[in-house]
Amino acid sequence: MKLKKLISVMLAGVMVLGLTACGGSGTSGGGSASGSSSSSGGTQAEAGTEAGDTGSSQAAGGEKLVVWTLAADLEQFADYYMEKNPDVAIETVVIEPANYVTKVQTALNGGQKEPDIIVGEPQMLEDFYDAGYFEDLNQAPYNAQDYADQIVDYVWEVGQDAEGIQRAISYQITPAGIYYRRDIASAVFGTDDPDEIGKLFADYDTILNTAQTLKGAGYRIFASDAEINYFSGDSAWVIDGNLNVDQGRLDYMDLCVSLYKDDLTAYANQWSTPWYQAMAGTVPILSADIQNYADDSVNVWDAEQFAEATAGMDTTEVFAFGLPSWGVLTMRDNVLETSGKWGVCAGPSYGFGGGTFIGISSQSERKELAWDFLKFCTLNEDTANWWIVKSEGDTVSLVPVLEAHAEDANEVYGGQQLYAFWLNQAKGIDYSKVTRYDKAIGDAWASAITAIKTGEKSKEDAISEFYDVVESTYPEITVNR
Amino acid sequence: MAKTGAKKRDLNRTGYLFVLPFVIIFLIFSVYPVFRTLYLSFTNYKGYGDAVWTGIDNYIRVVKDKFFWRDLWNTIKIWGVNIILQLGLAFLLTIVFSDIKYKMRGLAIFRAIYYLPNLIAATSVAFLFKTLLDWKYGSFNQILMALGLTQQQVNWLGSTSTAPYVVSVIGAWMWFGNSFIVLMAGVQGIPKDYFEAAAIDGAGRWKVFARITLPLLKPIMLYVFVTSLIGGLQLFDLPFLMQGAAPGTAGEPSGSLQTVVMYLYKFGFETHQVGYASAIAYTLFFIILIVSIIQFKTLGGEED
Repeated sequence: MKLKKLISVMLAGVMVLGLTACGGSGTSGGGSASGSSSSSGGTQAEAGTEAGDTGSSQAAGGEKLVVWTLAADLEQFADYYMEKNPDVAIETVVIEPANYVTKVQTALNGGQKEPDIIVGEPQMLEDFYDAGYFEDLNQAPYNAQDYADQIVDYVWEVGQDAEGIQRAISYQITPAGIYYRRDIASAVFGTDDPDEIGKLFADYDTILNTAQTLKGAGYRIFASDAEINYFSGDSAWVIDGNLNVDQGRLDYMDLCVSLYKDDLTAYANQWSTPWYQAMAGTVPILSADIQNYADDSVNVWDAEQFAEATAGMDTTEVFAFGLPSWGVLTMRDNVLETSGKWGVCAGPSYGFGGGTFIGISSQSERKELAWDFLKFCTLNEDTANWWIVKSEGDTVSLVPVLEAHAEDANEVYGGQQLYAFWLNQAKGIDYSKVTRYDKAIGDAWASAITAIKTGEKSKEDAISEFYDVVESTYPEITVNR
Repeated sequence: MAKTGAKKRDLNRTGYLFVLPFVIIFLIFSVYPVFRTLYLSFTNYKGYGDAVWTGIDNYIRVVKDKFFWRDLWNTIKIWGVNIILQLGLAFLLTIVFSDIKYKMRGLAIFRAIYYLPNLIAATSVAFLFKTLLDWKYGSFNQILMALGLTQQQVNWLGSTSTAPYVVSVIGAWMWFGNSFIVLMAGVQGIPKDYFEAAAIDGAGRWKVFARITLPLLKPIMLYVFVTSLIGGLQLFDLPFLMQGAAPGTAGEPSGSLQTVVMYLYKFGFETHQVGYASAIAYTLFFIILIVSIIQFKTLGGEED
């Protein structure tokens, strides 16, 4: 009887714990799966190489490869691969970016042999490298280092872990540029030459002047005030464990606030309907009064709703967009009748955004086939040429192909030779400024900017709050106020 | 005698077999994570790699973390308003439906209708209210303006002064049916004789409620309160889904909709500090435990 009582008390106790620790169940979900991995961290590599050996025999049978990706591009690559290798079936799983990291962690910490191919964007890679998810590509039979000179330098470096071991390779480069309207440039500034227009974006003060000039002529410099974001990372957020808010960051903050407060943009949010519409020509001006940031009703994603909501407002045309090279694909689908009137020039600094890096899961049992697929996507000239045509202008990372296409004229941009431009921009990128903290710190900085420009907080308070957020999020970072 | 004893024991063994599947699943999916989380809360586990023991560092960090306390206060504000509305409404309905003089019909139908919001997924509820409460085009603002109750649209989800309470009201709407069912069951459990005796003695409606219904409902109220507190302090889905309507008002830095579990989520899934997230989970657990004990002591005093 006593035992029964004891058991029932224990069970009841655990139930209360179960109920209340539910908040923790999310964490423990991720955590529990990792139970096996933390202990097998050392053996993972051994198991990995062993699996590599057995993998070769399976690959010879050549049936199946599982790819987990957050970029739908890889679906097309997989189709093309299967076209060339009819005996291989590739299962491509496209996972929403917000869930991608957690899914990969759960699968690989749980010791799963699939996926064979995993990908990562730059800000995810450092954690993935530390976790040992990616196979060492420098070792035999891959010997990736032999291909180093074929890939654009910064992309090659992003694919290396802290020890310089190659873990992942990307098929594309993503340097940022300013996309501008040549017709507006000629009308307002008397020239549409990319080098000359680039001077109008040389630094933040100049950008503000340019914005004022354009406003005076009835245009707006940007659709949103976030267009310079890709060029704002000219210094690292964290240096030797210290938070680094240099003058450039503060100037960027002032620029965003000025763009907003002085009505210099069309007040569209990036990726919203008016933002896209601005690529095709006239858009309504959603001034600060009409659209405060707490209200999304005008910033809709549905074109009809938008037209209805904005009927009767003042309109303008937007001069420029700041986007990485994959912006070519975004513009391609949205420029409509302004096609041919665009140009691309350099921004205030070198920057890049995103990029899908492909690697082999260290736990895959089909590593040989996975390597073949990886090479096919990233190091194969035929594929790169195919992708340029297929994607209608994505910028590949394979140097020989980029050089071969250097003189390709892109008609959307008035015949400008974009590949030569991107290759040149890519050379200026300094990847050492990227840290694993960038996303969280960048988000907090963006929140501070929003709070200032909407008048919710003073600059001092917003920055102080920003410091608090960084301190509480990453105690290991020293914040010198 | 001995024979029947043995048989009894055999029967017991069969009983254990029947509960075995549940116990196994319970151990794996409830007990293990609970203890695993406890262990992780003393480590710097990042979601991968080794978990290095760091003692109570994470807990010290939680106590010093001003955003944890801010979010706890947010959560308490949201829950506090919610529970007052939820229980108030449930009580009112209970009084109406249990009154022997009113003799309300169709209790089963009403009960089902009141319970319905509970069955709608939080995602749908969030979407529904985001649409209804839309600043410019939401029906709610349109009605208010048509009735002349307000000259300008109220930015319900976009303002830090209204957004938390909007969530409270939605929560109350979702869960009052559940409280009502439980309270009603409690009232039906009170012997009819008491009410009849009171009626014969000429007790008024208020007196019956205050002297008979309320005291006898205490244990049920305690149950509703404690379960609501446990659920309320773990609030996540509604505010998490509603905050999207109002960038700049939620999340950092002025996130009035950010609850403790959303804060925990940030560390568990966004910045990959699983150890710290686990410590937040356990701190929340201890806070809930302490508040529950206080509730037991104050409300359930006579029961002990």
